[in-house]
Amino acid sequence: MRRVRLGEPGTAWLFLTPALVLLAGMLLYPIFYTLWVSMSDFDLATFQPTGWVGWRNYEAVLNDPGFLESLRVTAVYLVIALPLQMVLGFAIAFLLNVPWRGRGVLRALFLIPMVVAPVVAGGVWRMLLDPLWGVVNYTLGLVGIGPVEWIGDPVLAMASVIIIDTWRWTPFVVLIASAGIMALPGDVYEAAKSDGAGRWATLRHVTLPLLVPVMAAAFVVRWLGAVKMFDIALAATKGGPGNATNVVNLYIYEKGFRSLEFGSASSMATIVLVVTMLITFVLFRVSRRLENRW
Amino acid sequence: MKSTRLVAAVAVLGLAVAACGSSAEEVPADGGGLGTAQQPVSIRVIANDAFAKQWQDKLVPEFNKKYPNIKVTIDGIPYNDQLAKTMLELTGTTATYDAVLADDPWIPQLAKTGALYDLKGQELAKWNDPEYDWADFHATPLAAGEWEGKQYAVPVRSNLLLMFYNKSLYKKAGVAEPTDETTWEQYFADAQKLVQDTDGDGKTDSWAVGTYFTKDPLTPTVWQTVLNSDGGKLLDDKMQVAFAGEAGVKALQTQVDLLKYAPPGASTYQFNEPLEAFRQGKTATMFMWGSVFKGTAVDKETTTLTPEEVGITTMPAGTAGPGAHRGIWSAGISKKSEHPAAAWTWLQWVTSKQGEQFVGKEFGTFPARNSTLDGTPPADWAGPVYQALKDGYEVASKGQMWRPRLPESDAVQQILALQTSRAMSGQATSQQAIDQAAKEITELLKTKGYGQ
Repeated sequence: MRRVRLGEPGTAWLFLTPALVLLAGMLLYPIFYTLWVSMSDFDLATFQPTGWVGWRNYEAVLNDPGFLESLRVTAVYLVIALPLQMVLGFAIAFLLNVPWRGRGVLRALFLIPMVVAPVVAGGVWRMLLDPLWGVVNYTLGLVGIGPVEWIGDPVLAMASVIIIDTWRWTPFVVLIASAGIMALPGDVYEAAKSDGAGRWATLRHVTLPLLVPVMAAAFVVRWLGAVKMFDIALAATKGGPGNATNVVNLYIYEKGFRSLEFGSASSMATIVLVVTMLITFVLFRVSRRLENRW
Repeated sequence: MKSTRLVAAVAVLGLAVAACGSSAEEVPADGGGLGTAQQPVSIRVIANDAFAKQWQDKLVPEFNKKYPNIKVTIDGIPYNDQLAKTMLELTGTTATYDAVLADDPWIPQLAKTGALYDLKGQELAKWNDPEYDWADFHATPLAAGEWEGKQYAVPVRSNLLLMFYNKSLYKKAGVAEPTDETTWEQYFADAQKLVQDTDGDGKTDSWAVGTYFTKDPLTPTVWQTVLNSDGGKLLDDKMQVAFAGEAGVKALQTQVDLLKYAPPGASTYQFNEPLEAFRQGKTATMFMWGSVFKGTAVDKETTTLTPEEVGITTMPAGTAGPGAHRGIWSAGISKKSEHPAAAWTWLQWVTSKQGEQFVGKEFGTFPARNSTLDGTPPADWAGPVYQALKDGYEVASKGQMWRPRLPESDAVQQILALQTSRAMSGQATSQQAIDQAAKEITELLKTKGYGQ
């Protein structure tokens, strides 16, 4: 009896097959289904995509001022929240890296926001920021400030969403940054010290360049998390007032699951997917270039 | 030898599979009827999470006193997810739920799936309770479950947007209590005095009004009611926008102006916040769903107020009369139900005179039957409340005070919610918000094949 030998690539493919089948089912099928829906008329009576409409849904959403506004709102949120979380995260990680009493407790406490469900976080912060009952306005009132309409004012509502998101996700950056800082090679620092480098010079010319790969990785991971944010906005502001905090995923969710406009919602989701992939590709290229530079 | 074994194994497997689906286990056409002690029937109901637990804990045991062999499970779904989940349920290939609950404007959309029984039709007639009295229902709540001449659902929790007022705060401000003849002009004149310092410490601690102000599909119902009480409509009979004029702008501006007399932070008020403010004695009036009356005036664990302190009447009058806004939860039976007899029996019991009186007494739920409205109230507090409800039903019917009745109702309400929020937050004037809402709704209805 002849035994069939698969060889190394064959064996690899054999072991990969279950994962590939699972991925295809869980990832590719929904993506292709979304594409199909985005180019169809969605019949609510059967809850199925029916007639082929080509690019009609795409044309409609690209002319939808609400969708374009939600893209702008998302950009504002990302441009402010991501750098803020990165700077805060790394700064706190540096502080936690210095030996001092109680830093272990603080490290543990930092993990709490990450394990709080986003909807709960949004709801709790909404209560904290309430002008009549909330503790934040009460405290501000003691020094003669307020009452401040944190959620009711369009500008402050965006600030509130960024604050909540930063409270929730900065610990994640702290965690990654701490791991990176602890893995830095000690001999490089000894060399810098013997060369007479001061604290700032060491930070600027040794620590930060060595941490670039970690920063890049943390940024990309946070970018991918932040771009799909909608739960905090939903729980805290419902995207309001008006469209002030209506991030694109919340807009798509409401179009799809409240207005039941599945054709438009799928077109928007596809556009966001393509844009996200393009920006992620650029981010990967930039981070690789930065790693090579240092 | 090997192939014989294989054939035998396949045959055994085939027999086993066939046995599993044999007629001995087949469910009869009525889904097992009303069940027996040995073989009870189980049904599931998709309901709103605001009252699902109440129903499961108290209503189902009461039902089981009469029908012990029908096991009922009530699943509560958050309001914002309920329509989409129900649509998926009704259009799916298999049924999880035997009965579905729907808010007032959802019925056309759910009925359009073709997956709901006509409750007055022939298909369910063989399981009709002979004592079930359709004629006893008040026409206003019953109409919520009707679409294109068929009765797809029956009222299980009737509701109206009404005006609550705190008599103590009115007295303290030296203002006469509102009646069903109070106009919006009079209301605003009173509102200025109702923003007051009640404990004399020099700081305002009580405000005139609380209601929906945030970005929510229910927020526009306030100005829609103002529009209706001036004789206006959202959509005309041809399903064309009818609010894009002076009347629409005036109605929306009325709601925007209310915010001036509301507590700090009221622009984020949804359902719970104005309710809590009123129950804590922070607001003198509240435009809210009437069914919260018991929790607002009677139940000591949820309110600081007493039934003597809380008044309820229709919303202030416009040029055509007072206002109210219909919001009826109705229930229908899924055609995919495997137990239609049990499901329809359950629904008939819940909406029977007996069932309605039970929920009225236990939960303070508003009735839809004339016999309950005109009969002995379940408690002293219910007398004036039922009177306000009857007045409200008449007013709502007369002014067609409900959300648009078409399958795209929720999409229309979403557009109105966004534009109302823009006006409330000052991102747009009332005129701009109304114009934009009119434009978007016209475009939406056009794409859905309505002549515009």
